Amino acid sequence: MSVKNVLAVALGILSAIGGFVDIGDLVFNTQAGATFGYQLLWVVVVGVVGIIVYSEMCGRVAAVAKRPVFDLVRERVGFGAGLGTLIASQIVNLMTCAAEVGGVAICLQLLAGLPYRALIPLAVVALVLSAWVLPFEWIERVFGYLGLGLLVFAVAAIKLHPDWERVAHGFVPGHHVGGSLLVYLYFVVGLLGAAMTPYEVYFYSSGAVEDGWGLKELGLNKVTSMIGYGLGGFLSFSLMIVAGTLFPPRNIDPQFLGTPPLAAADALGQVGLLLALVGILFAVGGAAIETCFSGAYNTAQFFGWRWGKRERPAAASRFTLAWLVIFALAFLVVMTGYDPVKLTEYSVIFSVVALPLTYLPILLVANDRSYMGSNVNGRLANVLGVVYFVVILAVAVAAIPLLLLTNGGQG
Amino acid sequence: MSAPSHTSGALVALVALALLAAGCGGAGTLSAKSLSQESKSLQSLASEGALLGRNAHAGRTTRIFTRVHSEELYKAASKAATSLRAAKTEPKLEPKLRNLTYLAGKVSADLKRLGHASKTEQALLAHELELAARTLE
Repeated sequence: MSVKNVLAVALGILSAIGGFVDIGDLVFNTQAGATFGYQLLWVVVVGVVGIIVYSEMCGRVAAVAKRPVFDLVRERVGFGAGLGTLIASQIVNLMTCAAEVGGVAICLQLLAGLPYRALIPLAVVALVLSAWVLPFEWIERVFGYLGLGLLVFAVAAIKLHPDWERVAHGFVPGHHVGGSLLVYLYFVVGLLGAAMTPYEVYFYSSGAVEDGWGLKELGLNKVTSMIGYGLGGFLSFSLMIVAGTLFPPRNIDPQFLGTPPLAAADALGQVGLLLALVGILFAVGGAAIETCFSGAYNTAQFFGWRWGKRERPAAASRFTLAWLVIFALAFLVVMTGYDPVKLTEYSVIFSVVALPLTYLPILLVANDRSYMGSNVNGRLANVLGVVYFVVILAVAVAAIPLLLLTNGGQG
Repeated sequence: MSAPSHTSGALVALVALALLAAGCGGAGTLSAKSLSQESKSLQSLASEGALLGRNAHAGRTTRIFTRVHSEELYKAASKAATSLRAAKTEPKLEPKLRNLTYLAGKVSADLKRLGHASKTEQALLAHELELAARTLE
């Protein structure tokens, strides 16, 4: 591998790390840390391995069959079930996009002090302009690199001197202490949902097709999905460790997007606070564009429209219109004044319900020799794929009852 | 067609029962569990306010962040104070409700002041919010 290639891979990994955390990870990791300390760290590991397994499959399918996820959904499950999946995923995408847009406006407010409602249109215009003007790889890189500001939480975690023995215990599943079992299970479901959000795989696979991946990118796919998502999970650990160290002794239940940056300020002062705010702003802003594009990708691929960010907007007019409409709808949702943190909680839990519909077609196609030839799933990918599918089914069934029974994790 | 109409009939009856049950509780009537939940969320707000106040006093936050975040905390505490003032409870829980209403008012007033407080005031408010959080334990 040449130096140039190594650099390209390294840059790709960096942007994947910065782009891993979205508002769902931020909310659920912080709340889980505040409620159960470090006891749920193992769930993040399970979620990260899950997203690695399925992203690797998606990238491989895109590289070999040159087909993105939603193209396959319609083909494998038929028009009716495919349409159901499309509608479900679009509702979740819209809720997530609205929550991310709200998150961007809150971050801008915490940085600039202007009124929240005035900042919502500003946030939407800035995101639409970025999505329109920046080339595909620049969107990933600009938002991914600036999202690396979130690494401040890793430094804060060290600076807060957690009990590392208890942190290590958190990586081993076991019986929990404090809080009810139902609330514990609610956070298990939420953390898995936040780590394995469907829009991430839609975006990843469509991005691979946009980038024109072929057989020689199979190695890059493995490296990007494993190291990028793996190290991205490191940010989730940091958030949970910071929250688990600072909040339980004070009985703080984080219900605001300003609470995690306050933790960074407590550990590292104003520099920590500003890095955390900038990191959140770009991580959440990048996720807003990704969810929006995912929605447009899904619709265009399902109906067979011309699609792609690389296409001129006029050449892929329906695709372009689709992502503009999603941004417009997200804007209207946020303007109702509904709390973005609450919206995030609902969007993550509802996305869990849609997970099996997203992941089943990927598993089926990655195993189909007529599409994949000799690049079908190996034994390890299949075992992990099936195990994760069973886990996904179980959490999908439990998600809504747990949301209702625990009053959104409040007990 | 009879099965669906039975089902929808049962559903209507269930919803009516649920509404009736909710109505029996009376609007704004708090049980011991609801009071304890209100107390917990108020404690969280007071404690977060104290953390913010201490960090603001130590110069670890920006002025804008302190103002905006304390305003968010104030809005939540003030909402809780308003709903507690309008709430009713069973006689033996009355003293607890009165105490909680008083503390909610105090916490929301402290949080409102925190956003525009001087350095000295920030330390004082952080201390008061910390005391309120401890009282709510």
